[in-house]
Amino acid sequence: MAEPILQVDNLHLSFVSGGQKTPVVRGLSYTLEKGKVLAVVGESGSGKTVQALSILNLLPPGGHVDGGKIGYNGKNLLTLKPAALRQIRGKKIAMIFQDPSSSLNPVLTIGEQLTETLQAHQKISKSIARQKAAKLLTQVGIADAEKRLDEYPFQFSGGMCQRVMIAMALLLNPDILIADEPTTALDVTVQAQILKLLKTLQQQNGMSVIFITHNLAVAAQIADEVLVLYAGQCMEYAPAKSLFKNPLHPYTQGLLGSLASIHTKPDRLPAIAGNPPLPGEELPGCPFAPRCPHVLEKCRTACPAFVKKEGRYVRCFLQEGK
Amino acid sequence: MMRYLVRRLCLLPLVVLGVTFALFLLTQRLSPEMRASLYVKDPRQMGALEEVIRQHGLRDNVFKQYGRWLLNVAHGDLGYSPSANMPVAKALKEYLPATIQLALVTMIFVIVFGVWLGALSAFYKDKWPDVLARFISVGGFSLPIFVLGLVLLMIFYGQLGWFAPGGYSVQTDFIIHGPSFKTYTGFLLLDSLLNGNGRVFLDVLSHLVLPAMTLCIGSFALMVRVMRSSMLEELNKDYVRTARAKGLAEYQVVYKHAGKNAMIPVITLAAIQFIRLLGGTVIVETIFDYPGIGRFGVLAAQQLDIAGILGFSLLVAVLFVLGNLATDLLYTAADPRIRLE
Repeated sequence: MAEPILQVDNLHLSFVSGGQKTPVVRGLSYTLEKGKVLAVVGESGSGKTVQALSILNLLPPGGHVDGGKIGYNGKNLLTLKPAALRQIRGKKIAMIFQDPSSSLNPVLTIGEQLTETLQAHQKISKSIARQKAAKLLTQVGIADAEKRLDEYPFQFSGGMCQRVMIAMALLLNPDILIADEPTTALDVTVQAQILKLLKTLQQQNGMSVIFITHNLAVAAQIADEVLVLYAGQCMEYAPAKSLFKNPLHPYTQGLLGSLASIHTKPDRLPAIAGNPPLPGEELPGCPFAPRCPHVLEKCRTACPAFVKKEGRYVRCFLQEGK
Repeated sequence: MMRYLVRRLCLLPLVVLGVTFALFLLTQRLSPEMRASLYVKDPRQMGALEEVIRQHGLRDNVFKQYGRWLLNVAHGDLGYSPSANMPVAKALKEYLPATIQLALVTMIFVIVFGVWLGALSAFYKDKWPDVLARFISVGGFSLPIFVLGLVLLMIFYGQLGWFAPGGYSVQTDFIIHGPSFKTYTGFLLLDSLLNGNGRVFLDVLSHLVLPAMTLCIGSFALMVRVMRSSMLEELNKDYVRTARAKGLAEYQVVYKHAGKNAMIPVITLAAIQFIRLLGGTVIVETIFDYPGIGRFGVLAAQQLDIAGILGFSLLVAVLFVLGNLATDLLYTAADPRIRLE
């Protein structure tokens, strides 16, 4: 058993808008192990990005932590003072985002944005910081790095911007990298390059990664463990291999079933019927019950517990009795 | 970028010709006798009217007269201004520095405090600094310049006697027109320092306070609003989240990251306001009897001083085009996306 590096325990998040409170993450728990990649999979609005943002207290205005604990290095990140949290942001836990071009500041040079990260955490001179930044850029596959440090984000393509973001995140050799849909905004060919790069760097540095995606195929390529989120709740949490081989939860089964394959040519792609519940909708039972093909009577009135089964976790009445 | 600059500079003569010719046409609505009478001081000399008309070719066709005026302008001769009692060129040279001085002092105040209050207001959205800033900016918008100017004059001159109208006091007038005071730039604030005369400096500065405060208020209100909304927009952008995720201190996130982007619209606004102040501080200069080109223009217009009006318009048109050009250059300095594309 590898040693845990980040522990999320019973996390509850909500958004407050106009006096109305809308829960978006409800009782989420998981453990990130050292040197492993955890993929958090879910549809839009499942809470996957929000839970990741809460780790570094980067929730957008209106976002609210209602309860729970995020343990890192013996500290609870949720109750840390701003100054102490700044020591962790970028240095111990780094983050890359979905839209690389808008995540970089348009009026500052790439070099400036890279070196300021170094200088925020270390006492080093500008020229040494520049050297280090250039080295990282070369490492993420940007040619002519020294020269490109003086360029601006708009002079880079989307894929190149994401490489810059990755370089920026890895500058200080963090323990944990949170990657929030890092390939979603990119072309498919570029996606594959970035994924490969991330995987290589992760293995080189022995870094732990939380990889957020809505794309199961991407998760399958990179993850050691997969956490399936639905309506702010964890439905299934299992090692990647066993999850893809034998999904236990009907939602996971549905997601895997709706993947297109090159070998079968159906007229229509299979899809899960219905829509996920709207945020704030009252859910007395299992949130997936309205769409579940195997729904039982009790699913509509009571929420199943999150049970451990053969080294994996699942939230479903169908699995409880077995 | 060079092509753009050249194109802009080509526009300069077009605007200047257009403005002055339009005004020239207007002046032709006055009979040659009326125009000539401006240069006749004594009613007993009315007989000389025909002589003046003949001498200046006031009955010639309008193009010929305009051409003659242009030719003179090219030689640096803008004609004689009866309202200022000196050649137009000399009057402009004397009054323009005073106006620039006033506009600069005003803009420094507007930019420094407007940007600061706007940023503060955005950062503390809906908290008390924001409420205060919004109150000030609404107040500033709704207060007409002529009302504020008169009220300030009443309180600080009439009641308290702290700040007097005019450009400088009588004593200063003696000093600066005396033999020992050297004129280097025409800007009294600067010249007094260069002459090492602190008394003149303070005197000139104290005469700037009331007109600058009056001019400030509207520009300041707008500046706070633009900075606030620009800053609010930038603070919600993705790159701000990135900056926080990197572990930067909050002041770096706000001032370096969001601030630098938020300043782009502010720079344009400040430049436009500055140009407007240069050309049109007419009301304020009149209220405070401030010896700038605005007051000169008003006096010229009131007394049908045609040479004065044309000279004033020529200057304002040139300032306007050059000012807009400078705005564009500033804009490119602030935003690399424009500079490098």
